[in-house]
Amino acid sequence: MLKITGIETFYGKIQALKGISLEVEQGKVVTILGANGAGKTTTMKTISGLLKPKHGTVEFLGEDITGLRPDQLLRKGIALVPEGRAILSSMTVMENLEMGAYHRNDKDIKKDIEEVMTHFPILKERKEQLGGTLSGGQQQMLAIARALLSKPKLILLDEPSMGLAPLIVANIFKIIKEINADGTTVLLVEQNAKQALKVADYGYVMETGKIIINGDAKDLLKDTRIVEAYLGKKSS
Amino acid sequence: MLGELLNPYHLQIVSFVLINIILGISIYITLSSGQLSLGNAGFMGIGAYTSALLTINFEVPIILGIILGALVAGIFGILIGIPALRLSGVYLAIATLGFGEVMRVIFVNWESVTQGAIGLSGVPHLGREVFKTLTAIGFDPEILGLKNNQFIYLIVVSILLLINIFIVWFFVRQNKSRVGRAFAAIKMDEKAAESMGIDITYYKVLSFTQGALLAGFAGALYAHVMAYISPADFAYHRAIEILIFSVFGGSEVIWGAIFGAAFMTIMPEALRFISEYRYMIYGAILILMMAFRPQGIIDVSLLQWFKKIIKFRKGTDHGTGIKKRH
Repeated sequence: MLKITGIETFYGKIQALKGISLEVEQGKVVTILGANGAGKTTTMKTISGLLKPKHGTVEFLGEDITGLRPDQLLRKGIALVPEGRAILSSMTVMENLEMGAYHRNDKDIKKDIEEVMTHFPILKERKEQLGGTLSGGQQQMLAIARALLSKPKLILLDEPSMGLAPLIVANIFKIIKEINADGTTVLLVEQNAKQALKVADYGYVMETGKIIINGDAKDLLKDTRIVEAYLGKKSS
Repeated sequence: MLGELLNPYHLQIVSFVLINIILGISIYITLSSGQLSLGNAGFMGIGAYTSALLTINFEVPIILGIILGALVAGIFGILIGIPALRLSGVYLAIATLGFGEVMRVIFVNWESVTQGAIGLSGVPHLGREVFKTLTAIGFDPEILGLKNNQFIYLIVVSILLLINIFIVWFFVRQNKSRVGRAFAAIKMDEKAAESMGIDITYYKVLSFTQGALLAGFAGALYAHVMAYISPADFAYHRAIEILIFSVFGGSEVIWGAIFGAAFMTIMPEALRFISEYRYMIYGAILILMMAFRPQGIIDVSLLQWFKKIIKFRKGTDHGTGIKKRH
């Protein structure tokens, strides 16, 4: 579904990605793991068009989407949940959700909001509350719920567990699994390797701008090198 | 009877209030997408000079002059708005302030066209032109019991009032539309707005251009209400004055800019009897505002409070739980 080939991205003269290739198959949860500075977020930014790669291509459903802006990607069916719970703090939960369907014109929006809220009962309870008054975990849920309302084929999640309590993290991952079961493909960037691999089908491990390990999530969970890479130790 | 109430001096102040309201809205519009532009005095100058020069030198009708003045300012808005996308916050404010200053320097130094610091006099007066047309078809203000002078100023005020009503109506509508929602989302969080499929570039340039267009429009009206313009009218002081309308009145809602413009125009006139001291009061009010109500006099919660009171008085919709959403 999403195919990235030989991506090299630079910050000025510094090369952050040294030829990343990965693939996300339809209906799967794929995760990218790695420590700080490994290039996870840079990969995400390159896919979502915030950064332009010097070499390499990003393809979605066979179409070249390299360098398209997030709003253009959304029209093609890729929704992005950016790092750090980007919600609209002075709009209500309901308004936030409505904004998620911003580019849509159909009549099902109300129905879809109801449906999405079944995954997030807490949001239903607080739908009249301002986004900014929600707790961190609830804001993250709102960001994910909002992304779902654009009816994406693929959803990109950038570190959804960042800065959240373990119990809430578990809840978020449970929701990711539910979303996937409903038919949305998920690309998940995470530091929380254990949790991410539990929900994922396939995983990539990054270090200093390269993919060093990839394989089925089940196998990766047992791989001792994962621990090393995740801790950022030199693998050779 | 009517004649005694309509004092040309008061009418003149009302017309200043109405022009300043347009200026207040012009800065509100750019602020509503999270951009602080201090270039609106410059855009105002562009509108004023464009319309004044066209009507003086080429005998263009006033209406056409004003429209062209606004459009030229709008085009400048696009030209400035696109590179300004790279700037945000205080850097954008500084750059746009610089733009305003450049415009003033051009007005001062391009003497062959703008008459330099002396300014342009003999700009066709909006009221007098309409009056001329009306008398030509045999109308006499005596029918209404008005003197010519009063009638002329009354024309100006009525025209400006209609324009104001239209502008406020338009932007209140716009705020409730997709465009307004996009502005609000961009103001709150650009990253989030982008990930919702909002084309940030387009909407930021749109709001900047709308602000420029409106400021240019106000400038063109100003030229034809004053009948005289000079570069000093569009200098740094004006830029700050426009900013104060919005900051004082409240920059979150359109009513804030309207209230701020009205209050800040009427107050110095109302306090004329204490002469110089009024500027001290002006300063004191601003400092008190900063300390006690930094969001401005009118904000969202105040408006909601008003709405509740009105609802309560009417006794309708109360407690039914039905809430209208847009």
